[in-house]
Amino acid sequence: MTKIDIFSGFLGAGKTTLIKKLIAEGYQGEKLVLIENEFGEIGIDGGFLKDSGVQINEMNSGCICCSLVGDFATALHQVIEEYHPDRILIEPSGVGKLSDVIRAVQSADTAGAVLGGFTTVADAGKVKMYMKNFGEFYNNQIEHASTIILSRTQNIKEDKLEAAVALLREHNAQASIITTPWDQLTGKQILEVMEQKSTLQAELDALAAEIEHEHHHHEDEECCCGHDHDHDHEHHHEDGECCHDHDHEHEHHHDHDHEHHHEDGECCCHDHDHEHEHEHHHDHDHEHHHEDGECCCGHDHHHDHHHHHADEVFTSFGRETTRRFTDEEIRHALEALDDTEKYGIILRAKGIVQGADGQWIHFDYVPGDVDVRHGSAEIIGRLCVIGSKLNEQAVAALFGLN
Amino acid sequence: MPAEIPVYLFTGFLEAGKTKFIQETLEDPRFNGDKEKTLLLLCEEGEEEYDPDRFYDSKNVFIETLDDPEQLNEVYLTGLIRKTKATRVVLEYNGMWLVQDLYNKIPENWVIYQEFLLCDANTFLSYNQNMRQLVVDKLSSCEIVVFNRAPMDVDKDSFHKIVRGVSRRTDIAYEHLDGSVEYDEIEDPLPFDIEAPVITVEDRDFALFYRDIAEEPKKYDGKTVHFKGMVALDKRFPKGMIAVGRFVMTCCEADTQYMSFLCNIPAGEHPAHKDWLEVTAKVAVKNHPLYKGVGPVLTATSIEKAKAPEQEVATFY
Repeated sequence: MTKIDIFSGFLGAGKTTLIKKLIAEGYQGEKLVLIENEFGEIGIDGGFLKDSGVQINEMNSGCICCSLVGDFATALHQVIEEYHPDRILIEPSGVGKLSDVIRAVQSADTAGAVLGGFTTVADAGKVKMYMKNFGEFYNNQIEHASTIILSRTQNIKEDKLEAAVALLREHNAQASIITTPWDQLTGKQILEVMEQKSTLQAELDALAAEIEHEHHHHEDEECCCGHDHDHDHEHHHEDGECCHDHDHEHEHHHDHDHEHHHEDGECCCHDHDHEHEHEHHHDHDHEHHHEDGECCCGHDHHHDHHHHHADEVFTSFGRETTRRFTDEEIRHALEALDDTEKYGIILRAKGIVQGADGQWIHFDYVPGDVDVRHGSAEIIGRLCVIGSKLNEQAVAALFGLN
Repeated sequence: MPAEIPVYLFTGFLEAGKTKFIQETLEDPRFNGDKEKTLLLLCEEGEEEYDPDRFYDSKNVFIETLDDPEQLNEVYLTGLIRKTKATRVVLEYNGMWLVQDLYNKIPENWVIYQEFLLCDANTFLSYNQNMRQLVVDKLSSCEIVVFNRAPMDVDKDSFHKIVRGVSRRTDIAYEHLDGSVEYDEIEDPLPFDIEAPVITVEDRDFALFYRDIAEEPKKYDGKTVHFKGMVALDKRFPKGMIAVGRFVMTCCEADTQYMSFLCNIPAGEHPAHKDWLEVTAKVAVKNHPLYKGVGPVLTATSIEKAKAPEQEVATFY
């Protein structure tokens, strides 16, 4: 199955730089084809691509009027038939509408290919100016993006970055937004965001799962030896730490379809194939595929799981922020969470935010225990708080977020 | 008829240096020293902001902003003149809007006195490749294009070729980072001899020839030209007249247009629609209703059937 990723963004936003980073660090091992419909400023040099085994197809155009006409569909079909790539990267004209590109890909009706992420790259320092003066096509690129990646955030002040994110949010409440300077992130981290694996909701779910896990005392993830399981149970996955090779199918009652591909890198012993039936009281359908790459022993499991989301019992509060904090601020805020009258009963809090000095602060909280340390960068500052009878407003204010 | 309003038009993409250029113009007593009421009309709001306190005469400059291209209409603009009592306009245009639209929408008594195009030398080549239509639009009517922030060793040939591909009249200037200004003095002789008894235009030069005669018709008045073109017939044409010309592509297929001359042909000749002809004709620059004004009307001394040129659509190379 070929996946098609689209990279939109105005001229000079940094699309080519991003694609290069992803090729070098994110898409490793995949067979790629890059379709360019823009004359890049920094040409992706032949040598680099040859080394990465990327096939380039340039669509001839160069102006708005013919950015998508012609044989786009034909070109797409040809590329798929000729190369059978794992992934096609499309870099459309920087002055075109993203929705037009999406539609063009959809109407190309390519059997054997699915649309992946719609990424828009935006120069953080120019969001306001471009939005105001460009109008339609620029806003369209923002509105239709599943991920918005801001470039050159290291060159602007915190308040300007915050204002830029707020403007983007006015046009797109859903997209993941990356605000961390790219040199602090790996291509793999960025790709995880584009694949919708690294989201605030995922963090909240994981945290909720941890709590519920503690409540249910299920520890089947930590199993590390060879059995043939076929059982019904309730369980929660924490993908990075699992020791199985899974192929799950989750069915949720949501009103849209997702496909998630998890590639867990640290698996060490099993090769499972199980199907989970999760019943959630949401109304959409998910399909999750877990593909653990480094597993080392072989089993076939078939599990039927029933579980309940912690958020049916607890409230969760999550925020993404570009605000910078000091260690002391975080420590004081976390210590204050013990005040149940003011904030509610907090069970867990967890987050990664950028420090005032540029370092990244990682923190964890369980009642009576505060842990603040430094660690690797996250794509944007995130904090999650879970508890019951949460006073969200008070919690937000405690962290200086409104 | 209301009094004529001179318009000083500044075009160019965001961050090209328009605001700085206009700010400096309004600080200059030679432009802003006569107590003339000036409407400073902004269609774009970039990073740079105006500092009216530093205008030579800030009392007589009235700043108005257009947020929406819809406001570009006769009623609204005339209203601004009435409100400010301005007698001239300095207009900073939005780089993403077509200059052609502005020409069509301004009130009749607004007359573009000067049109400046400002570009950032560092983004121009990329913008030209990727937004060709907008670049061509801005190059085609400006009197001067200024490439700002140009490195000392700027590749003048590439810039020159792009500008000259659209307009032979536009002056080209480079403003370097140290503030020094350099003019482009590369000459481009026409590829045909305009002083020859018969000006012979090769197939590949048709687009250049057509543009040159359209820009400076007087140069050709009374001269004899020879070229190959395709016939178009129209029932509005008087007897003995055809149109002869070629499809010309300026930037891409979408803007390809049939560019032609009205041509009287010798009696007894009846070329068919879409025939290719070798035409030898004398040029008379005169008023013709089919041109809705003055234009080069040809009178052929001979026409001969010919084969289509190798590349049927004419281009500026």
